[in-house]
Amino acid sequence: MKKHRRPLSSSDATWLAGAAVLFVGLAVVPVSVGDYDLATIRDIMLFALFAVGLDLFWGRSGILSFGHATFFGVGAYGMAIATVKLGLPGGFGSIVGLGLGTALASLLAFGVGYFLIRGGVRGAYFTITTLALSLIAQQTAVGWSSVTGGDSGLIGVPALGYDELRFSDPIAQFYLVWGVLLAVSLGAWSVLRGRHGLVLKMIEDNEVKAETLGYSTSLYLIVLFTLSATVAALAGALYATMTGFVAPDMLGLILSTEVIMWVATGGRGLILGAIVGTIVVSELQQRISSVDTKLWPMFMGLFFIAMVFLFPDGLLSVVWRVGALFRRDKPSGEVRR
Amino acid sequence: MSDIIVTSLNAMTLISILMLVSMGLAIIYGLMNVINLAHGEFVTIGAYTLAMVQAWGGNFWLALAIAPFVGYAFGSLIEVVLIRHLYQRPIATILATWGLGLVLQQLIQLAFGAAPLPASSPITGALTLLGTSFPAYRLFLIGMTIAIVAGCAAVFRFTNFGLDVRAVIQDGAMAESLGIDTARVFRRAFGAGAALAALAGVLIAPLTAVVAQMGVNYLARSFFVVTIGGPGTVIGVAAGSGIVGGLETLFSHEMPATVAQALVLALAAALMLFRPNGLLGSAAGSR
Repeated sequence: MKKHRRPLSSSDATWLAGAAVLFVGLAVVPVSVGDYDLATIRDIMLFALFAVGLDLFWGRSGILSFGHATFFGVGAYGMAIATVKLGLPGGFGSIVGLGLGTALASLLAFGVGYFLIRGGVRGAYFTITTLALSLIAQQTAVGWSSVTGGDSGLIGVPALGYDELRFSDPIAQFYLVWGVLLAVSLGAWSVLRGRHGLVLKMIEDNEVKAETLGYSTSLYLIVLFTLSATVAALAGALYATMTGFVAPDMLGLILSTEVIMWVATGGRGLILGAIVGTIVVSELQQRISSVDTKLWPMFMGLFFIAMVFLFPDGLLSVVWRVGALFRRDKPSGEVRR
Repeated sequence: MSDIIVTSLNAMTLISILMLVSMGLAIIYGLMNVINLAHGEFVTIGAYTLAMVQAWGGNFWLALAIAPFVGYAFGSLIEVVLIRHLYQRPIATILATWGLGLVLQQLIQLAFGAAPLPASSPITGALTLLGTSFPAYRLFLIGMTIAIVAGCAAVFRFTNFGLDVRAVIQDGAMAESLGIDTARVFRRAFGAGAALAALAGVLIAPLTAVVAQMGVNYLARSFFVVTIGGPGTVIGVAAGSGIVGGLETLFSHEMPATVAQALVLALAAALMLFRPNGLLGSAAGSR
């Protein structure tokens, strides 16, 4: 089959311009802030990477995974187990850990995806099963304490690197995360705007039709789910090397809920939306938690209820819609997806 | 020998608890097809009803009588305010009810504090059964479960309300054209599901810690119970509870309780791939 390169449309140009503004903006952050804020923003970018992972699947397939923290956590635990538990020689332990964490998560996602998606599980039922997956993972991490450290998790995860060459400096860590986030976002965007992205869009609209036209829809969805989990695991593994520890809430339901909130705020299906959503919500979380930490779960709950009724396409879609009022040449729908 | 009896009685206790919690969900999820992630919070509300009634000097039996009404009130209110607008949007229902669950947990925690509340059972001591002694309250729980489940089955089979619910679920438009107020039937069915969950909460409370987050423990398991058993049949709920509760008790002997729960959930998920409509459901179609 002949490959077609789609020329850049004006919505692509908007996306690229938005990405440029966002990433340049992030790149100059280290100039202006102290070490503490730098670490906070680095963590937010890692969560944004995680959100991009979820957005790949939820945004493009329309199927919501309620257990995506499982993959983030498996990535983090893979890293921690390779470096802390297996006691691999300091030189390349963290590199093995990166491979182990992402490979475990990809395998898990492939297995889960194979059984569920091949088994015809879609929609709400997929959501419930992945929710249970998050519960199972968290309980396993708490219960299997000889490997996972139980409730207290594992501490002493070294910085990523080889021998003396390590990302232990806050600024180096910041730019590592920045670069990974940029690369993954661009990669995800260029894949999704291409042929495969169009097929996935067709599957979301009408899977039977796509299948009738000869596309192996299950295969598409399984590959997408696995990729999405791999990105989440990459974020988790990097997170473990930078915070130095792992704990069971890294695979728990609260994190699974939060990542949905990040993506939903930005509006699903827009890779950039996931990043902006993560930044906005994390900022909000810090402000609300600084008043009282107990307020945050309550706020999350209210947010979900409000979202369903007031802004089902994401908080930023309100901005897009207002913006579309000033652009008369195309409907707002095309900008969003 | 006495080991086997104790183990099977323990298994029956757990199975009873699961059946109690899942009966309500069997109506809401199995029959109405609403994925209500706040179902666990209805259980919590029941448990707190018991704690409150006892704190104010009332006894267990009073709480057992009040709780279904509290649950029904909450359930029908939530149906009118929230669920009713989302019947056509399953993912939205999941998100909204999950949010509702978080809000309810926080409200309960704000009102009653984070520390577990005391809740005591009226029946103390042990009974000797086939040569082994077993806590009497657990035997009472098993008996109550059988009575409640039989009662539900009778309501659905023999009352007008049961007939209406079955009619609306089979064909809403046809039921409406025959003069059944479907909105009212849905509201009452949802309320009834919540009432059953609250009743379960009262019965469970003396056996566990009454905290705001207690409901989450039962949420995933009861969903699996209902799906394993097949949608909306009393026997299905019994079969699902038997499998989940039985396996969990069995595994708990060999490994930590959390790992046993995880393993059972994994097995339940795997089982459903081969029987997507449940053990007792028809093989045709998938959910």
